[in-house]
Amino acid sequence: MNWLTNLAAGLKGLFHKQSVERDLDEELDSYLDASAADKQSAGMAPDLARRAALVEMGSRNAVKHQVWSSRWESTLDGLLQDIRVSLRMLTKSPGFTAVALLSLALGIGANTAIFTLIHQIVLRDLPVRDPQQLVSFGDSVGAGINGGVDLGTNRMFTYDFARQQEKNPGPFVGVASYFSGLNLVSVRSDAKGKDQSVTQAEASLVSGNYFRVLGADALLGRTITPSDATTLDGNPVVVLSHHYWQQYLSSDPAILGKTISINGFPFAVIGVMPEQFNGFKQGSGLHVSDFWVPITMQPQIMLQPSMLVPRKYYFLHMFARRDPRVPLATDQQWLDQQIRNYIRAGEGSVISAARQQEINRATVQLMPSAGGVSQLRAQFGDSLKILMVVVVLVLLIACANLANFLLARAATRQREIATRLALGSSRARIVRQSLIETLLLSFAGGLLGLGVAFAATRALIAFVVEGVNYTPLSPMPDGSVLLFTLTISLVTGLIFGVAPALAAARTGAASSLSSNVRIAQGSGDRSSRIWPKTLVAAQVMLSLVLLVGAGLFLRTLQNLQDQDYGFARTHLLLAEFNAKLAGYQPNQAPALNQRLLERLGSLPGVRSVALSNDPPISNDVQGDSIGIPGYVPQPKENMEVTLNRVTGRYFETVGIPIVAGRAITPDDSATSLKVAIVNQAFIRHFFPKSDPIGHTFTIDGDSFHGPWQIVGVARNIKSESPRDETVYPMVYFPLTQVSPMVKDSSGSGLVGNQNLFVSTIELRTTGDPEQTARELRSAVASIDPNLPILDIHTIQEQVDSMMSDETLLSSLTSIFSLLALVLASIGLYGVMSYNVVRRTNEIGIRLALGAQTGAVRWMVLRESLWLLGIGIALGLPITLIVVRVIRQQLFGVGAVDPLTFAVAIVVVSGMTLLAAWLPARRATRVDPMVALRCD
Amino acid sequence: MPAKIIEGRPQDGKSSDLVQGTLEMLILKTLALEPMHGYGVALRIEQISDGVFRVNPGSLLPALSRMERGGRVKSEWRATENNRRAKYYLLTASGRKALTSETEQWHRQIAAISRILEA
Repeated sequence: MNWLTNLAAGLKGLFHKQSVERDLDEELDSYLDASAADKQSAGMAPDLARRAALVEMGSRNAVKHQVWSSRWESTLDGLLQDIRVSLRMLTKSPGFTAVALLSLALGIGANTAIFTLIHQIVLRDLPVRDPQQLVSFGDSVGAGINGGVDLGTNRMFTYDFARQQEKNPGPFVGVASYFSGLNLVSVRSDAKGKDQSVTQAEASLVSGNYFRVLGADALLGRTITPSDATTLDGNPVVVLSHHYWQQYLSSDPAILGKTISINGFPFAVIGVMPEQFNGFKQGSGLHVSDFWVPITMQPQIMLQPSMLVPRKYYFLHMFARRDPRVPLATDQQWLDQQIRNYIRAGEGSVISAARQQEINRATVQLMPSAGGVSQLRAQFGDSLKILMVVVVLVLLIACANLANFLLARAATRQREIATRLALGSSRARIVRQSLIETLLLSFAGGLLGLGVAFAATRALIAFVVEGVNYTPLSPMPDGSVLLFTLTISLVTGLIFGVAPALAAARTGAASSLSSNVRIAQGSGDRSSRIWPKTLVAAQVMLSLVLLVGAGLFLRTLQNLQDQDYGFARTHLLLAEFNAKLAGYQPNQAPALNQRLLERLGSLPGVRSVALSNDPPISNDVQGDSIGIPGYVPQPKENMEVTLNRVTGRYFETVGIPIVAGRAITPDDSATSLKVAIVNQAFIRHFFPKSDPIGHTFTIDGDSFHGPWQIVGVARNIKSESPRDETVYPMVYFPLTQVSPMVKDSSGSGLVGNQNLFVSTIELRTTGDPEQTARELRSAVASIDPNLPILDIHTIQEQVDSMMSDETLLSSLTSIFSLLALVLASIGLYGVMSYNVVRRTNEIGIRLALGAQTGAVRWMVLRESLWLLGIGIALGLPITLIVVRVIRQQLFGVGAVDPLTFAVAIVVVSGMTLLAAWLPARRATRVDPMVALRCD
Repeated sequence: MPAKIIEGRPQDGKSSDLVQGTLEMLILKTLALEPMHGYGVALRIEQISDGVFRVNPGSLLPALSRMERGGRVKSEWRATENNRRAKYYLLTASGRKALTSETEQWHRQIAAISRILEA
């Protein structure tokens, strides 16, 4: 308890200084009295005794000071005093303070903003028990349904394999699975009372042990358990996400046990998850699960026949919880063994040696997944890391500027510091006060930076998620972000504060107090002159690195934009719709499609209209393998082609030229010959020498078997990632010729073919396509008001959305590198102006002795040119190293692109010369008489 | 630190700088006899040491203040024998304990040093 009384006494000393002082005075008085009385009793005369006592005590103030300094509160008091002095110093030069705070706020704000995103997208662990024990089977980023592949291809697994692992997890604590994508479903909530409007939501299908393996508990009720995923079609339960419960069910506390209708089927709500929980996979694309449903309800959720049949549909992703005592290699070995056994069991009785070898190579890498699997991380992770480096460089440049300003100011304050030293202040105290001043600046800058970061993060998140209505990303800084900002503010303050503080402490007391201070400063010691120049050269160097980086990213974006996509990118409007969600059955689809074509084709301003399963370019395409009579594939040859089913006027609507034969026309009907158009890549692969027109092929799988006769060849288009330079073989066939019935999953009966549905409307317009969007909506509503239009955008928006990470990277690096360049120019201008002011005497003498103004100007400029030269000379090799690192991110431009380098050097030189020219011109205006007379 | 603020006065040509850390022990010992005011402590140390140690207020008062903060002594204002007010310092229980342990330690050190010197 001692320290407590000590603390209380200390605080009393701080806040009641006067009473403590009075106390001390009284004690000293009584000490003197006692001393004098003692001496008197020893025989001294009273006045002599008193004087002797006074002499013995020495300086009364010194004693009081010693008592005061022996207590801890004196240090704190000194600190408070330093802070007050520093605040006064800062308010005395409001211009400097404002510039410093602005650059710090921008620098720290940019760092905090990027860190907030990195923290949320890349670093954060899943909110579950021991997330570091989780591993995913492969990187699991993509999503889809594969058929006819080996287990583990594209990290996809079948239901029977997943069940087998679930029952016997081997060395793992548990193995769970989930459908790799999200499913858009229509929801009608009975819980909401009167309001029974239909909404769309994203449902996630999960295995019964999903939550148990994940180690996640429900906020309300319970999670899905293995007993909830026992029989096909038999487990209509749902666990809601917190945001869905909040947004659509008004956080109804009595939701448990109520029913919501999903795709027309009743599901009982059994639980609500906590707010931070978004599942193992953080959405497909940018979407987030609204609720979780047992995998056995797949037919109801996907509105497709069961995919739980053995060895047919590869559509599940898997993950496991590891036993930390088992080495990863054991787990990996076990998993590979399971995969190989499964593949082998599916082969015929005789397996060729080559196939045997192939099977023995099958593997799926276990990936540590403490943060789950995230599409955002895959898409933006690298860009964010590059941006983090960029903003740190910008902050360093800002630091260099502030260090320079403070060094210059320390020089002008030499007289003040010398005075304080002469009056007995310790150098440590002067360093401390100087550091406190810079830390005040950096912490105030950090505080403002938090505000800047909040606004910037909000804008960045809006850009990254592009209008998705719920995102787990939040611009609110949490504990780690605040800690980051605090640390970076502290480090920033130390970086730009140490040099000036040390410079201040080095001030010699004697020389600076002499009357000729100007001369003392002018001749300054070597180190005080070398510092600012080093900093400026470093700024030039960093600016060059940033400018080259920005240039390369801009050219990358431009190359991606300007490449030949193969289809027209203007006057084309795309709309996504989903008739299944409105309750349509497959046999109703052809009539609906026909009505859509007729109704939309008659809209004013619409030149032509088409429907297709996929838009001309998208991340998500359908494919299958084909067979061509007479064509013998090489062993392991990839026979997969991209498929798109389209209506009659697709090619003219989208603007894809037909290079041979004919296009699909409205005359290709259900009853006429089945025809197909292939692309040039298809010809190159399958018919390199012969004319393909008139040949037929079949498509594996039941839905589009054919045979299809090739009647035309379409130009190659870019149908997937804009970065992907390979063109895949592609087949277009008429939607009207898709078979109306297919075999059901048992293989015995027939059911309506789900592939009669398509989801994309293409409209070629005469004017601005965005003008037509509203008419499109009302036209669709006039056919069926319940038919949901999920999204409308132009083809250009579609292309842009596929390179949003490139756009983010190039626009932000450009902004930051320009900011860096401006900061560096201000720095150079400041240093050069200060040099000219410092050398006014010298310049005056030179002019008086007959120096030409040109020579004087050159003298000043030469110094800047040196710095520029050194900066570029050092910057070039560093840039060459840096561009190697970012080579992966570039497209259509070499890492050492001469044009980019040349432009960057010219821009840096131009800005530097401009910043140096102004002080140089001022030097020539020095009036020799004024310069020599003053001081 | 304390050695610097404690000033002994050379007498008979012998150095009498207080060994580091001993001032507080001497004050504790002095106060163990009876509560005393600042000057009383200084006087008592000087008298008992036969004038070898002289403690001036610049060292004594900070030391007392530090010990009071450390909880080894406490202070109260009392009337002196000639009816003036003075701040008297009293030993606390923890001060008494500190005195015992410091004295023991001191004796051990002295004994060790003498053994070394006599060896």
